[in-house]
Amino acid sequence: MELDEFKLAVDVWLDAHTEELACTFEGIGTLDEQMAQLRKVMRLTYDAGFMRMGWPERVGGLGGSNLLRAYLGEVLTARDLVEPGIYSMPEVLAPTMIDYAPEALAAEMVPRLLRGEEIWCQGFSEPGTGSNLASLACRATRDGDAWRINGQKVWTSLAQYAQRCVLLTRTGTTESAHRGITALFIDMDSKGITVRPIETMHGAHEFCEVFFDDVEVPLDRVLGDVDHGWSIAMDLLPYERSTALWHRASYLQRRLEQLVAVAPAGSLDPVAVGEATELLWSFRARSRATQRRLAAGETLGAETSIDKVLVAAAEQVVFDLVAEGLATDVVLGDDPVSQRWRAEFLYSRAATIYGGSAEIQRNIIARRLLGLGADR
Amino acid sequence: MEATERALFESGVRHATEATDGAALDSALDDLGWRDALAVDRRTAVSVLFESQGATTTVSAALDWLLATALGADADAAVAVVLPSLRRCDHPGRLDGDWCVVEGLGTAALDRCSTALVVAQTPDGAATFAVDLGLLTRRPVQGLDPALGLCEVMGEFETAWAAQPKAADWPAAVALGQLALGHELVGAGRTMLELARTHALERMQFGRPIGSFQAVRHRLAESLVALEAAAALLDAAWEDPSPVAAAMAKAFAGRSARTVARHCQQVLAGIGFTTEHPLHRSVRRAIVLDQLLGAGGVLTRTLGAGILSSATLPAAFPL
Repeated sequence: MELDEFKLAVDVWLDAHTEELACTFEGIGTLDEQMAQLRKVMRLTYDAGFMRMGWPERVGGLGGSNLLRAYLGEVLTARDLVEPGIYSMPEVLAPTMIDYAPEALAAEMVPRLLRGEEIWCQGFSEPGTGSNLASLACRATRDGDAWRINGQKVWTSLAQYAQRCVLLTRTGTTESAHRGITALFIDMDSKGITVRPIETMHGAHEFCEVFFDDVEVPLDRVLGDVDHGWSIAMDLLPYERSTALWHRASYLQRRLEQLVAVAPAGSLDPVAVGEATELLWSFRARSRATQRRLAAGETLGAETSIDKVLVAAAEQVVFDLVAEGLATDVVLGDDPVSQRWRAEFLYSRAATIYGGSAEIQRNIIARRLLGLGADR
Repeated sequence: MEATERALFESGVRHATEATDGAALDSALDDLGWRDALAVDRRTAVSVLFESQGATTTVSAALDWLLATALGADADAAVAVVLPSLRRCDHPGRLDGDWCVVEGLGTAALDRCSTALVVAQTPDGAATFAVDLGLLTRRPVQGLDPALGLCEVMGEFETAWAAQPKAADWPAAVALGQLALGHELVGAGRTMLELARTHALERMQFGRPIGSFQAVRHRLAESLVALEAAAALLDAAWEDPSPVAAAMAKAFAGRSARTVARHCQQVLAGIGFTTEHPLHRSVRRAIVLDQLLGAGGVLTRTLGAGILSSATLPAAFPL
């Protein structure tokens, strides 16, 4: 299906199912409410066929280009039907499974993810492993016909809801750095896993600590090759900075649009509004070009760090405007709509931290795009 | 243009801007068929030339040619176009009874022509007057960027003396000019970044290249982000060269080029502050281009004020 045809079909279908799809809560809602909404929207769009578009047939998809997925996320976000952060997680997790999981496993599992039957999480960061991912220590030891996992992950989004986890583990020596890492696909109901949600300043406890205490994982749950998990992480990180960011652009545009519609007269500086719009539009332009390169079959790489720097900058500029134009709501408001503005403003402070900090993105740009050599 | 044709055109234009400047660059562009390319594939002709021109800090008559054709002049006519005054993007001519009062700027190409096009608001809408340059006063400008060769243009002429005026789509012409200047700003920025990058790799302090220090690396990374964002916005604006899209792209390119100038000047430090190093040429060019055909700051404020008064955002280009 071509993009234009798809757009039309999706729009018509969304118009016809407004009530069924609508959010059942006002404002930001609880995380439980958000997750229930997400699952509902994913199930309905999957059953209607739209969620399957843009994914390969061998994992239950209906084929077609990534642009179809980009548009679906864009329009669901623009209509306030899903929160883009949690909606876009399959954009990273599904490609990992498609590229690295044994074929039967991918065919069995990916449809559950896309239909919202299952939530998956991604176990990368650790207490001692933030920006320096290659230093991770959560250990997987070969024990007969199973792996045994011991260690801890942190900042694992939605682990408390997740049925599966794509987990990076240390299988080599501690000194093996990026060479001794193995990716595993884990059932979150395995014995020995403890999940503890972290209370964050924006109020939605989507991040978790995950503890692994002698957790047994079957050997056939290895993604890619043993000790080659680093290349999986490197291959999927550019995905984290492509389609998901296009969805985020749609969300930022929607919120800026709502801000200028409701901000009291005189509360916003026209120069600040002009600058924020230019920056957000430039990010949209950049992200669209990335989507088109992906659709043309190009392999994404370090240049997507530019997209990530831009989205974080745009998000903070937009929500700086929110804090200015809707100061009373953000600072004093306790109604659901104010709570949402406040939570999103606070969450925007983390835009330069999660998904590879602004500093790490600049390091990548300096080394890989500007050829400045290794940093010391 | 097809890929191979485009590559050939691009290398020809780049070589011309590297080897020639001013009137000689005009001839080189004519030899390359730039004005024919403008008629066939405006986007490629403009983006390729103006980015190269910005990168090499050269000047040509191309902005005049672009505006003149957008105002309906023959592609090969030897005419210059009077630009609005600094920072402005409205009509440089104003009708006062039977007279047209002109106040604006001219490019270096103005001196090589005998006729200038002046756009003025008339009761029937904007109109283009072709005026004998002898009727206007020109003051050559040295200013911040003497190499750009700008002049201030002033005077008045009796409209009956000028050739029959033609209806003009001034906003559309300005939009094209703004896109051209946007590409020129990106080109100037790319040269600044390359100069600073080279310096960061060669300049040793504390026994290592300064490009190994994160404070320096991040400034250069930030510069590349600014340039790629500006280039992306320009590309998107070409798909819908509306006045709003072009103004945004031009203002953002100007802001990006000034960001790049700030970072690169800091990285190049002492040597970059001398006239022994070429950086100052690009810095000067970027600052002045940012002020032409609508200053970035003015365009951005106008955009923001429009958003606030209408309570809606400009059209967002579709996926």
